[in-house]
Amino acid sequence: MAQTMELSAAKPPLRKMRRTLLGTVPVQSPIYELHPATRLFTLLFLGVVSLFIDLPEINILLIIAIFIYLRWAKVDISGLKIYLPLTVTVAIFMFTVSIAFPGADPNFHSFRFLGITFYLEPLYWTFASYWRLMAMLFGTIQYFSTNRERETLVAVRSLKVPFVITYFLSLALRSAGMFLEDMRTIREAERARGLDETSMSLRDRAKLYAMYMIPLFTLAIRRTDEISNALYARGYTPSGKLENEKQRSDYILTQYQFRRIDTILIAAMVITFVLVGVLRIGFGVFAVTQSPLRIFLLSLF
Amino acid sequence: MSTAASENVWALEEGEVRKPGIAHIVALALFTGIGIVVGTFGSLAIPIGFVSAFWPGQAIQAVGSIWYGMWGGIAAFVFPLISNAMSGSAPLPVSMAYIPANFVQGMAAGWVFRQYKLHPALTSARDWWGFTLVGIIAANAFGALWGTSVLRAFGLITPAAHLVAWAGWFIGNSVASWVLGVLLLKFISPLVIKTKAFCKGYWA
Repeated sequence: MAQTMELSAAKPPLRKMRRTLLGTVPVQSPIYELHPATRLFTLLFLGVVSLFIDLPEINILLIIAIFIYLRWAKVDISGLKIYLPLTVTVAIFMFTVSIAFPGADPNFHSFRFLGITFYLEPLYWTFASYWRLMAMLFGTIQYFSTNRERETLVAVRSLKVPFVITYFLSLALRSAGMFLEDMRTIREAERARGLDETSMSLRDRAKLYAMYMIPLFTLAIRRTDEISNALYARGYTPSGKLENEKQRSDYILTQYQFRRIDTILIAAMVITFVLVGVLRIGFGVFAVTQSPLRIFLLSLF
Repeated sequence: MSTAASENVWALEEGEVRKPGIAHIVALALFTGIGIVVGTFGSLAIPIGFVSAFWPGQAIQAVGSIWYGMWGGIAAFVFPLISNAMSGSAPLPVSMAYIPANFVQGMAAGWVFRQYKLHPALTSARDWWGFTLVGIIAANAFGALWGTSVLRAFGLITPAAHLVAWAGWFIGNSVASWVLGVLLLKFISPLVIKTKAFCKGYWA
C-alpha cells in the first residue's frame, strides 16, 4: 500500500491539453483569459498589418513577437515544424525567380558572385517581400494554433454575425475535423497493412492521396443527409428563429466573459492598424526604400 | 446509347418543386470542411509555396459546383481562405484577393454542365470534353492568371517571372485537379444525384 502511494506521488501531475485547429494548448494557458473575439482580432491584426509594412526589420520583429506570444500562450511550438519545408521552399522559389528574372532597369546596382550577376534592388525587394509574407503567415497560423472551432464560433457570434453564417462556419470547421478523423482512420488502416508512405515517390503519393477521396466523400455525403434530417427534426431554420419568431438562446456565449483587458487590446489593435495604414498610404512610411539594411547595402556600392 | 448517357439529370420531373433549404446549407458547410482538409493537405504534402504547383483543391471547387450549383461556388471561395491559412500557403490578404478566381474556378464547371446538360458521372465523350476544356483547362487558365497577377500586385513575384509562374501554376493545378475531379465525378456522382442536396438549378 505504502509502495503504491509512493509511486503515485512520484507521478508528474497530468497536464490537461486542449486540441486547437492546428495543435494543442494546455487548458491552463493564459491565452484563455482573453475573450475569443479578442483572439479573432489578433488574426485580423497580425495577419493583415504587414500588408502595409515593407520594412523587413519590422516584419522580423513582428514574427519574433508572434513566437513570444505563442510561447506565453504555452503552445507546443514543435507542432509548427510542419511549416519548415514551406518556409524554405518559398524562399528558394522567390529568390530563384528574382535572380533569374530580375527585370531590366539600368539603375540597378549589380555585383557578380560565382559567375552570376546579381541585382541588389530586386534581390532586396524579394528579401523584404519574403519577410512580409512570413509575418502575415505566422500572424494567421498563430490564430489556428491557439483556438478551437468553438472559440471561432463564439467570436463571430459575439460580433453579431447572422445565425446562418455562424451555423455554416461552425459546421464547416467541425466537418473538417470529422473528415480528418475519417482520413486518419483510413491512413492507420493502410499503415497497419504495411504501407510506408515515406518510401513512396511523389507521383505515388499523389495517387494515394486521390484514392483516399472516394471513401471520404461517400462518408461526407451520407453525413449531409443525416445532419440535415437531424436539424429539420429539431426545427432549425436558416434564420435561427423559433416558430414563435423568438431568437434561440445562445448557451455557449454565456460561457465567455468580455473583460476590460479585451476592450483595451481590441482598441489598441484597431488604433495601431489604422495608424499604420494611414502612415503607409498617406505618408509613404514603412516603404522598402527606408530600410536601414538596404541603405547600408547601397552604401557599399 | 446507354440509359445513363441519355438521362438528363438536370430536367425537373413533372410537378417537381425545388427550393433552397437547410440541406443545401449543410451540404455547403460539409463541402467547405472537405475543401479545407483537401486544400490544406494538398499544399502541405508537396510544399511549393504560394505559387500553387499542385493544388487538388480546384477539383473540389469544380465538382462542388457541378453537384451543388451556387452552393458549391460559395464553398469554392470560402474554403481556400481557411485552407491557405492553415497550410501556410497564403496569408489572409492574398487569400482574399484570390476570391474572384476561386469563384470562377468553381463555377465554370457548374455552368458548363448545366448549360449543355452534361452528365455529372461523365457518361459520354461530350461530358469528358466539357469537364476537361471548361471545368479544368479554362478555369485553371483564368485562376492561374488571376492568382499570378495577385502575387505580382503583392510584390511576391517580379513582372519578368509572371509568365513562368502562370505556366507552373496552370499545368500543376490542371493535372492534379483533372485526376481527382474525374475520380470524384465517375465514382461519387451516381450517389450524389440521388440526394436531396443535389442542385438541378443553381440554387436547388
